[in-house]
Amino acid sequence: MSSFIGYLRDRSDDELVALLRSRPDLASPSPATLSSLAVRATSRSSLERALAGSDASVLQVLEAVTALSDGGTVRASDLPAAVGAKDEAEVAAVERALRLAIVAALVYPDDEAPDGEHATTGGAASDRPDGATAALLASPGLAEVLGPYPAGLAGPDAGNRRAAVAPMDQPTPEEIPGLLEAAPTGAKPVLDALLWGPPVGLAPSNNTAAAAAVDWLIRRRLLAPGDARHVVLPRTVALTLRGGRTHAAPATSPPIPADAPHRAPGLVAAESAAAGERATLLVARLIRLWEQTPPAVLRGGGLGVRELRRAAQLLEVDEAEAAFVIELAGAAGFIADDGEEPASFAPTVAVDEWSSRDVPDRWAALARTWTTMLRTPWLVGGRDDRGGVRAALDPELQRAWAPRLRRSVLDALAQTKPGTALDAPGVLAVLRWRTPRSVPPVAAVAAVLAEAGRLGILGAGALSDAGRALLAESAPPVSRKSDTADPADALAAALPRAVDEILLQGDLTGVVPGRPSAALEDLLDRVTHVESRGGALTVRFTPESVRRALDAGATADGLLAELAGHSRGPVPQPLEYLVRDAARRHGRLRAGSASSYLRADDPSLLAGLTEDSRLASLGLVRLAPTVLASQAPASELVDMLRAHGLAPVVEGPDGQVLHIAASARRVGRRAAVAARRRETASPREQLSDERLLALVPALRRAEEERRLDESERLPGSLLTASRQSTHGSPTAPALGDAGAAAEDTPSDLGSTHEGVRADGASQPPAADAEPLAPGSTGTADPVDALVLLREAAAEKVAVWVELVGSSGVPDRRLLRPVLVEGGRLRAIDPARESELTVAVHRIASVTRDVPAAALPTTTHHEEST
Amino acid sequence: MTDGPLIVQSDKTLLLEVDHDQAEACRRAIAPFAELERAPEHVHTYRLTPLGLWNARAAGHDAEQVVDVLLQYSRYPVPHALLVDVADTMSRYGRLQLVQDPVHGLILHALDPAVLVEVVRSKRTAGLLGARIDATDVIVHPSERGHLKQVLLKLGWPAEDLAGYVDGEAHQIDLLEDGWHLRPYQKQAVDGFFHGGSGVVVLPCGAGKTLVGAGAMARSSTTTLILVTNTVSARQWRDELIKRTSLTEDEIGEYSGARKEIRPVTIATYQVLTTKRKGVYTHLELLDARDWGLVVYDEVHLLPAPIFRMTADLQARRRLGLTATLVREDGREDEVFSLIGPKRFDAPWKDIEAQGYIAPADCVEVRLTLPDADRMAYATAEPEEKYRLAATAKGKNRVVEQLVAKHEGEPTLVIGQYLDQLHTLAEHIGADLITGETRVSERQRLFDAFRSGEITKLVVSKVANFSIDLPEAAVAIQVSGSFGSRQEEAQRLGRIMRPKADGRTAHFYTVVARDTVDQDFAAHRQRFLAEQGYAYSIVDAEDLVIEQ
Repeated sequence: MSSFIGYLRDRSDDELVALLRSRPDLASPSPATLSSLAVRATSRSSLERALAGSDASVLQVLEAVTALSDGGTVRASDLPAAVGAKDEAEVAAVERALRLAIVAALVYPDDEAPDGEHATTGGAASDRPDGATAALLASPGLAEVLGPYPAGLAGPDAGNRRAAVAPMDQPTPEEIPGLLEAAPTGAKPVLDALLWGPPVGLAPSNNTAAAAAVDWLIRRRLLAPGDARHVVLPRTVALTLRGGRTHAAPATSPPIPADAPHRAPGLVAAESAAAGERATLLVARLIRLWEQTPPAVLRGGGLGVRELRRAAQLLEVDEAEAAFVIELAGAAGFIADDGEEPASFAPTVAVDEWSSRDVPDRWAALARTWTTMLRTPWLVGGRDDRGGVRAALDPELQRAWAPRLRRSVLDALAQTKPGTALDAPGVLAVLRWRTPRSVPPVAAVAAVLAEAGRLGILGAGALSDAGRALLAESAPPVSRKSDTADPADALAAALPRAVDEILLQGDLTGVVPGRPSAALEDLLDRVTHVESRGGALTVRFTPESVRRALDAGATADGLLAELAGHSRGPVPQPLEYLVRDAARRHGRLRAGSASSYLRADDPSLLAGLTEDSRLASLGLVRLAPTVLASQAPASELVDMLRAHGLAPVVEGPDGQVLHIAASARRVGRRAAVAARRRETASPREQLSDERLLALVPALRRAEEERRLDESERLPGSLLTASRQSTHGSPTAPALGDAGAAAEDTPSDLGSTHEGVRADGASQPPAADAEPLAPGSTGTADPVDALVLLREAAAEKVAVWVELVGSSGVPDRRLLRPVLVEGGRLRAIDPARESELTVAVHRIASVTRDVPAAALPTTTHHEEST
Repeated sequence: MTDGPLIVQSDKTLLLEVDHDQAEACRRAIAPFAELERAPEHVHTYRLTPLGLWNARAAGHDAEQVVDVLLQYSRYPVPHALLVDVADTMSRYGRLQLVQDPVHGLILHALDPAVLVEVVRSKRTAGLLGARIDATDVIVHPSERGHLKQVLLKLGWPAEDLAGYVDGEAHQIDLLEDGWHLRPYQKQAVDGFFHGGSGVVVLPCGAGKTLVGAGAMARSSTTTLILVTNTVSARQWRDELIKRTSLTEDEIGEYSGARKEIRPVTIATYQVLTTKRKGVYTHLELLDARDWGLVVYDEVHLLPAPIFRMTADLQARRRLGLTATLVREDGREDEVFSLIGPKRFDAPWKDIEAQGYIAPADCVEVRLTLPDADRMAYATAEPEEKYRLAATAKGKNRVVEQLVAKHEGEPTLVIGQYLDQLHTLAEHIGADLITGETRVSERQRLFDAFRSGEITKLVVSKVANFSIDLPEAAVAIQVSGSFGSRQEEAQRLGRIMRPKADGRTAHFYTVVARDTVDQDFAAHRQRFLAEQGYAYSIVDAEDLVIEQ
């Protein structure tokens, strides 16, 4: 039986690249050696991640291999039958799944198959799975991650705790049919209920017919007693009854609901474009709103409910959509906490550049933000764990999985025929096949669909061309196609033709029968109030809207001429009156700013002052015959006048004119960049092929160097070292020290990778402990030790483990590892008939149990290469 | 993308471009289910509302037709969500039916048992429903028929009322079509109503709603209770019925503050019905005084809330609502729907005008610049005084005088709100004045004189707003009015919208003081009239002088 490390070491560069490509977490950060790569590949967190990304078909294969290889041999050729594949397509699907599993090193062919037939180790992308005849092994650790009942089958020794040492004997497959024939009524339903898993059932209460049937089954060993209250269907029995299969039916392809509605391409494009334009517009309007009146930042960092409601009202959307718009603007870095006292949310400088672009580009910027943003706007308004209302822009609404969820939802839609509109349950059905181990809640999927709809990534529920382009663009470089369209162009193509004409009506409304051209939009934006948008734009002229235009510098004649230029007919008389009326009233009051004023009853005195060139620096302006305004502060004014021999007196502060300019607020660029960084997933180092190709040889080199290194230092004897330590130092050079030392030298294999800190060292500083060459039968290298333990756990064989007790005395025991997880080893000690759990850092070395070995130390030397 | 005349907005408004070739066909196609919201010169706005869609359902249209029409005429792809919503909404009507069961009497029958469960479980139906018969039927207390319909509408499951009506006492009524005939649209209205059982006929003022009522009575040929807004209106109904039908004076009773007659055809005022003494409606027995076969409600949009409650108890009788507009200032459109019935006939004003049945109208706003002294008084007045000051500006007298002079000889009405102002004006132009204080007989006399052309000028207060019939008023001058209510506007316009013998254009002037709150109210008026499709122009009072 080959070891996993050995298997990995024998892979070609191409195969390793393929592995890293299929499990990117293994390469980031780069592992130092192939051994550490192997450790990482067998760690629970990495396996969980790999399984989370595997589809139902791959999982079936993994379950089948795990279930069947445990206490038996499974070959690639057995798998299609095991999962119940019937026709060629299904068999092909199973083969594909197996190929993927092998590429990802989740299962691997046993190169040292007992029948001697050596497995070919062809390229990962080769047509047929590796070694069709080779026995397949589940990677170490996989069984634990898959759970206690892979494929709904109990473990071979399950159901009998006492059998930890000697597995309970189970009926042979040949006996079973005979036994069943004699089964009393009531026995069959019990077996049927447990047949396809879970294999554990609650034992019926005594003195019932069911209890009698269960008793009968237990006596015939067709059921095994679990704990006091449960019974277990033994694996052999289950497999026999299933006809040797692990699954009832193969999960060959994602289920697309047959009745999923289909939308016409025109409709999809139109709705997508309309929604996209609308989303862009809403963000722009939000910015305009907040540059006038920036809302306050809550102490907790979010936006108050009242402010959200106000924004919703002014944007004329519901609160959910307002929250989405606000979050989107925040994630895009358009809105940030200005950091002032009191703090408020204000538009950033990033806005100006964005606003200057045209609609499709603006949309693309927002859509790209959306795909990568960590924010979860749909949670706004809900309650958090403490019962508080979740506020928009609340820093706690970040979810690392959000971009992944968005991607997987869009991916699911992209799998369907163009125009297929999937609802949340439909998407969920696809996701349930694609990633059965990480199915998002239906509410989150529905929320993502709603967001995509609002952004126009979906049109009428189907993925739009623009959405497709966006998805293609954001695909990882490895699987990206070169000829993807630009999302902005795709949206631009879907936007309806711009109309440059407005129908002006006597009730002071105007209708643009289509999408207004940029010039018209700009004009209407200035002089009207928009009433409804959609296929057409309806606007209303009000005294306020016209005044707004006049405020911005327009004139009545100019406006009327502009309107007439766009109008099909003449400007209606009431509208002309409205504009002229507004203009007539506009500017009847004049306001300005001055720092101080001078008043006198004698106009000639004031007239003299304005003419006096020596007082020019005061900036005196005559507002009325008896009033002058000055740009200088009152104190300066008075001082200067006194210096010129006049005798002014100072008036109280009443009557001073205050001018508050409505200025558009901006936060500095740094805050904008910081905001963007905070709100969107860091553009994760994309694993380019170049990088992967460079990484693999480096790993191999490092591995070689390490082994050379170790073989030079070979003479150091573990035994002597530990003996010395018992006499000398109270602390034995255990792995824990290695780990502790490793923490100081930041290593590639960050100690954050699951709880196992000991695997941090690539070069054990405990140099006098015997470093056994990895892949051999024993090791003191923490990295290899963990792999050995995991392999032993997977293979259910005993290994020699040297433990360092709290007193520092090493203790060698023959243990059968059960589980390595969370920095702990759980193992069965057959000699003492007990189970023990030890911290990994107390393990000094691990040695395979080679029957011929007289002394473990000698074994090391013999076996080291 | 077709090149249709209709643009469907996602906010459920429909924009119809009227200059388009297919506009007319499209208008006809969408009229049954979409409410015309405004009809200015180029683009008419319709709105899809649940009530509108249910009205269409009640009239026998189904969702598929509606969707087809939208798709057929729409210029751009119709928002998918809107189509789904239309189908959803329409499918809600009629899932519940009120039917007569031979064994259990009035029952609520559900075509969809789940809906019945939802409705039965609702707190709001408590006390209205009796025992559950089976999965699809539940007994309804007959006295709660109307109330139940109201509640079901509020719950979003409007019931189809198939329980039928009592026949009522038969009483022969015939139309006397000597020298005149029901106009085609009036016939359609009568047919539409009778086919539907109960419901509302919407016709503009002056389009002959009384005749629709008479037609319905003739078709029904039963004893009839007619509810009208006031006594003057009651007398007009009586005169009209005597003139147009076989009914004689003896067969028609008036039930008002002055007289309490109950005859085969009884005309009662809303006011007398809603009179309370010691907290009790004293005249409620009128409703059961005879076995009425038909109840006619004039001016449904003004129907007072208590009458709604009484109407809830009249569900077994055929009900006809007549109105110029379904818009109620109090927003109780849904009660009209559930208690009187769905809209059975509707014709936009402009359509009927185009057919020559009502006079084309020219709406002019005359803007008067206040002299400086008035402006100062206005600027410093208390807010509640401002409107009065602006509305009664002295300069208006001169403007009215000029307008009256301009239309010398034409029947002219001057309408206002403030009595002082009206008194002054009446003196100024030498006309008679009718206010709420004028006795009914005097009112009748003046109206008759005005009708006969004996007098051509009349100054009237608010009291003239409702249900008076001034066939030859060709000019209306409004000097003040309460705060731009749309309803009032429709009424006033109605005063002069009656067809003129010579097809002259009617003139509707409003005199407003510039830069005051008066002008703001005028803006509402202007919007309403423009939305109704009337040409609206603004003239400066100074220009008026030059014109002359």
